[in-house]
Amino acid sequence: MSYLNNPAVVMDNGTGLTKLGFAGNDSPSWIFPTAIATSQGTATGSNKNKAQATGGSNAGGSNPYFGNSTSATSFNNLSSQMLMSNNLAGKRGTEDLDFYIGNEALIASQGASYSLSYPIRHGQVENWDHMERFWENSIFKYLRTEPEDHFFLLTEPPLNPPENREQIAEIFFESFNCAGLYIAVQAVLALAASWTSSKVVDRSLTGTVIDSGDGVTHVIPVAEGYVIGSAIKNIPIAGRDITQFIQTLLRERGEADTSLRTAERIKQEYCYVCPDIVKEFNKFDRDPEKFAQYVVENQEKTQKKVVDVGYERFLAPEIFFNPEIASSDFLTPLPTIVDQTIQACPIDVRKGLYNNIVLSGGSTMFKDFGRRLQRDLKSIVNNRIAQNELLSGTKSTGVDVSVISHRKQRNAVWFGGSLLAQTAEFKSYCHTKKDYEEYGPEIVRNFSLFNMV
Amino acid sequence: MLQLKPYNLLIQKTVSEAVEAAQQGRPLALDRIISDFDYTTFHMYNTAEDQAGTVYLSVRTKAWQSVLQCGGLLEYLQEVYSGCTGVTLLQQPEQGYDLTLALQLTSSPTEDTVLQLSLLKTHIMASPFKLAFKEFDVLKNVPVDPETAQLQQGPASSLFAIQYRDDETIFIKPANDRITVIFDTVFEDETDKIFGKVFLQEFVDARKRNRSIQSAPQVLYSHERPLELGSSNHPNLQGQPSRGYITFVLFPRHFQTQEVQLSSVYQLVLFRNYFHYHIKCAKAYMHSRMRYRVNTFVKVLNRAKVDDDDNDNQPAAESSTGATSTGPTRRTATGRKLVY
Repeated sequence: MSYLNNPAVVMDNGTGLTKLGFAGNDSPSWIFPTAIATSQGTATGSNKNKAQATGGSNAGGSNPYFGNSTSATSFNNLSSQMLMSNNLAGKRGTEDLDFYIGNEALIASQGASYSLSYPIRHGQVENWDHMERFWENSIFKYLRTEPEDHFFLLTEPPLNPPENREQIAEIFFESFNCAGLYIAVQAVLALAASWTSSKVVDRSLTGTVIDSGDGVTHVIPVAEGYVIGSAIKNIPIAGRDITQFIQTLLRERGEADTSLRTAERIKQEYCYVCPDIVKEFNKFDRDPEKFAQYVVENQEKTQKKVVDVGYERFLAPEIFFNPEIASSDFLTPLPTIVDQTIQACPIDVRKGLYNNIVLSGGSTMFKDFGRRLQRDLKSIVNNRIAQNELLSGTKSTGVDVSVISHRKQRNAVWFGGSLLAQTAEFKSYCHTKKDYEEYGPEIVRNFSLFNMV
Repeated sequence: MLQLKPYNLLIQKTVSEAVEAAQQGRPLALDRIISDFDYTTFHMYNTAEDQAGTVYLSVRTKAWQSVLQCGGLLEYLQEVYSGCTGVTLLQQPEQGYDLTLALQLTSSPTEDTVLQLSLLKTHIMASPFKLAFKEFDVLKNVPVDPETAQLQQGPASSLFAIQYRDDETIFIKPANDRITVIFDTVFEDETDKIFGKVFLQEFVDARKRNRSIQSAPQVLYSHERPLELGSSNHPNLQGQPSRGYITFVLFPRHFQTQEVQLSSVYQLVLFRNYFHYHIKCAKAYMHSRMRYRVNTFVKVLNRAKVDDDDNDNQPAAESSTGATSTGPTRRTATGRKLVY
């Protein structure tokens, strides 16, 4: 079977972004929004032609074979009356094939004839029709793989219902006939990705994962590769909230450009975490060098707007640690949440969880985020130990708190998947098409864990 | 839209990024595995010492051995890539790969060069087609015997075989007035067999029904071994009664000019991928119809449920009056009220 030589495909479908690539690479090959633009169904003939016009102009190729126009036979173009009678393609249109995914979807949805939708909400697949088509296009068009020849590693959020896993298996085995499938929990992959950090000495699958993406931040304890579901906590503060916070600051100051895009760029390029806000304010007041300027150019590069970047450089990420500066309904700082999460776990794994706190996702990329978290958490833990010692009169052996940040943090989940899927044993952990046919979809309720030694 | 490009989008993207990064003086460290249809794997890498200088692109593909046997492959690739500045074919391919190309980033490669690189796999597959086009040019000048309608004499036309998958092959047979391209296919999955059959039948009939595509090549589909294959004893042609043969008949108008030749080849090389992609899309469509149908059934079922409103009030009312809760609240196993 020559598919054994083909690299496994690693797909991480997140709420905001989808990461696609091949096992063994150090970064995803494609990162694009998990968005699909579908043509607006029962359109009349004129509407369809418009759709094609926009589709064709996107690619802008003079050569029809490089263009993005409809298929060469182009049944839609004909006055379909005469076709209706005996042609299958005439009986129903090709609307279900008329869609774009990813960045192309964002472009297409600006036209009138496509509507944009995000099939994944809160990490879980909501619209299976759209998701199936999204996968279909990403496998064939972007990854250019015949699913029959490849093994697939997919990710799922913690607390994903097993029914969703079965749905995934049905789609991958029945629609795509994929050779083999492994569905991994995102938090476990993020732990595996942290093995690349020099701080990690033993490759254990025990640790706390702080996964902060665009929509929501999860704190997930993992013991020996199993997620402790009852202790998972969510924080409604994530990348989008930081961006919006920066935007309000810019607006209050009346900057020249206060679009969300500008705020996002400022977040990515200038923000960092400070050890102490008051001192940092003083530092800014003493040293005007700290203030930065961000230049916004419009598309034609004719106009320039200058936006001053001030205190938001350290105030924006600070909302993780002092949420009261941005919101009035959620007030618990991140270190406290992490502590509460670990305290909710069985006592015999708590040490391991404090020992190995792993960051994952784009919103944990701020400079010194890990250091600040480690410091705050340490002081919480040390206070408690001191109090215990005072009350019980015995000496504690102490708890070591360590937060691990590494360079692959942004796409940690994908990278962890790539690491695991390139190992020789990976294929033996997968369920194959044959297994699926033998046992049915419930086979994917269980996957054996990678035990990496 | 349902469009596969003849070129590999990912190679195009990665090479353009590498070129751009090198031009900005921040060269990327590259070590990427990229895949393509039909057991094709690319490896794009550069060395740590020479990040700004050279990017290597290695390819390993299932079709390589059989295309090499047809002959003229390396010369053809040399010819294609001689037009691209900065691209050279290495004499010694990377270990485990069939061919390695080197791209000089310093020569500021054009967009066309990048495109040609991303067409590498297609070019490999195109080589036997080119040979067939050449042979056609020879054959068409051989005079035809008016009585038997046979070629009078001259070289017997050859049969080019591209074995691009384990048990599937493309055969190309030039004749004096046409070129026949035959795909033999076999399905592993039972469902695919049926989908494939319906699809191919529709594909064959499309030309008859649609006047605007009359100029497209004729397509035939059968389980019988086409005569063009003659007495060829290719291993893939033995046994397996489920094998199907899809025949495309190319007439001179399909390969008159260079451009038409290229586009014909692009379409043909992608045929199997399109075909399977369509089967998968058809399944996805069926699934979405099934989900829709199940949803409507569920709606009907929900309507049949007894609403809980009046039941919720009853126990409370009974407890207040102190009556025992027998009689009116008795239900069947499915929750329906028992009516006497």
